[in-house]
Amino acid sequence: MGTILMGGLELGLILAVMAIGMFLSFKILNIPDLTVDSSFTLGCAVSAIGAANGHPVLGFLLSVLAGMAAGCVTGFLQTKLKIQPILAGILTMTGLYSVNLWVMGDKPNIPLFGKATIFTPLQGKLPVLFEKLPVIALVLIAVAVLIRLFLKTQIGMSLRATGDNEDMVRASSINSDGMKILGLALSNGIVALSGALMAQYQSFSDISAGIGMMVIGLASIIVGDAFVGKGSVGRGMLAAILGAVIYRFILTFALQLRMPLSGLKLLSALLVVLAISIAAARDALAKRRMRNA
Amino acid sequence: MLKLQDIRLTFHRGTVNERRALDCVNLHLSPGDFATVIGSNGAGKSTMLNVIAGSYEADSGKILLDGEDITLRKEYKRANKIGRLFQDPLKGTAPNMTIEENLGLAYLRGKKRGMGSGLKKTDEAFFKKMLACLGLGLEDRLKTQVKLLSGGQRQALTLLMATIVTPKLLLLDEHTAALDPKTALQIMRITDGIVRENQITTLMITHNIKDALSYGNKTVVMGQGRVVLILEGEERAGMTVERLMQLYSANTQDAFSDKMILYSRHT
Ligand SMILES: Nc1ncnc2c1ncn2[C@@H]1O[C@H](COP(=O)(O)OP(=O)(O)OP(=O)(O)O)[C@@H](O)[C@H]1O
Ligand SMILES: [Mg+2]
Repeated sequence: MGTILMGGLELGLILAVMAIGMFLSFKILNIPDLTVDSSFTLGCAVSAIGAANGHPVLGFLLSVLAGMAAGCVTGFLQTKLKIQPILAGILTMTGLYSVNLWVMGDKPNIPLFGKATIFTPLQGKLPVLFEKLPVIALVLIAVAVLIRLFLKTQIGMSLRATGDNEDMVRASSINSDGMKILGLALSNGIVALSGALMAQYQSFSDISAGIGMMVIGLASIIVGDAFVGKGSVGRGMLAAILGAVIYRFILTFALQLRMPLSGLKLLSALLVVLAISIAAARDALAKRRMRNA
Repeated sequence: MLKLQDIRLTFHRGTVNERRALDCVNLHLSPGDFATVIGSNGAGKSTMLNVIAGSYEADSGKILLDGEDITLRKEYKRANKIGRLFQDPLKGTAPNMTIEENLGLAYLRGKKRGMGSGLKKTDEAFFKKMLACLGLGLEDRLKTQVKLLSGGQRQALTLLMATIVTPKLLLLDEHTAALDPKTALQIMRITDGIVRENQITTLMITHNIKDALSYGNKTVVMGQGRVVLILEGEERAGMTVERLMQLYSANTQDAFSDKMILYSRHT
């Protein structure tokens, strides 16, 4: 039981990294970015190739750069070529499928069993149950703290304003196109980082690893909102992290209750719908209460 | 300070919706000029401001600001020197950010934005002082999200944001039209105070002919995509609302819009 719960927590925290990335595009920039599924796979692929060739840390770091490049492409399509955000994301996602295959050497999956990963240094030094948690927690905390600090800088504030009111941003001499590209690059860099963690955590990279990840990230953000409530930036990030962990635990329990593995994606989609309806119902209730008061 | 030379702009050229919005506009403002702009609906007033700010690109002609040719410059780069207010109070501020954060962003106008802190502790006192000048009690609400402010409060804040770094040019497009008469008067007074104190070169569109004659030192009259009349000096001082309306009809074969007449009668 302990292993199962720990596994749920670890996976939840890895997804939380992705949720922070998606928080940047969906919440801060207010852009629905469909690049996510493919940049997650890209992160998996780059980090797996690194680990397979004996450079787990290098692969890990390069995955961030690869993800950022993917985000730049989507950003470029949106701002310079004026392609609708959704279509821009779909185009990058489609193109990246080939790129991901090339990165993985035209193989649909790369097993890393027996290879050194970023988790190897702690192996044998801690009780087996806690071997992997510190690395995951460290990455998550580092990403969360860095992004929180970044959003307080001048550029970070300009980024937030771009998602809030583009007219005002341009009238204040801020390059809104540049901000969007930067935001999408950061977002996808973090998503790829999450993919990189996942590949080395599972000692396995698969060309379809990222399928449905966007919905999972969305579920995390929305589930988190339902629990933590909307508010400041810090609170929103906390909500995304918590949402990812809660989401993952729900899946863990569903699997314990003998839900077939094939039902995973359906459950993710249903969770998003459920979380959205709960939020809508709550708003409606609050309004009714106000009217009656 | 500002020079428009033969600016032309046609929307949807070559389609059934073709619409000539600016038809050879020429305008010259000297440093410190506060010009009001009037004209009937569709005369091209907003389009002219949009062309100056860079939201639209002129088909032909030249725009000079502060001695520089800015005709082809991007909107956000022009904003280094141009402050701007829209009719819609929602357009000028970031609603989910605080008053302080909005001011912080505006305070960086024209400067390079980097990894420095977006809100410096040392600026807080300055922001409070500037907000206090507006006389709306906003100085005690630095941490309030802007979406919680009224339209008038937002417009006053936007005005402060547009001028907190003194711009070379201030563009106001009916910035009090969406407010109730009392608030509109208040915002007009604040505007006049800020513009005069900092001697900001200003273009202000209004539908209130009285305001157009009483504020500023020039009145630009537009009709059918052209500047048809510029009033200044004694001619302007002696002008009445009625005479201006007669002049306008004579110059443009176009009557003032009902909206303008309504405004002038009721205020
Ligand atoms: N984005 C646009 N696309 C097409 N036509 C436009 C656009 N903007 C303005 N026009 C047209 O250009 C002409 C001038 O419009 P403009 O908004 O400048 O008028 P205005 O003088 O500001 O009028 P109002 O007093 O109603 O604000 C109008 O005929 C308008 O229909
Ligand atoms: Mg207009």
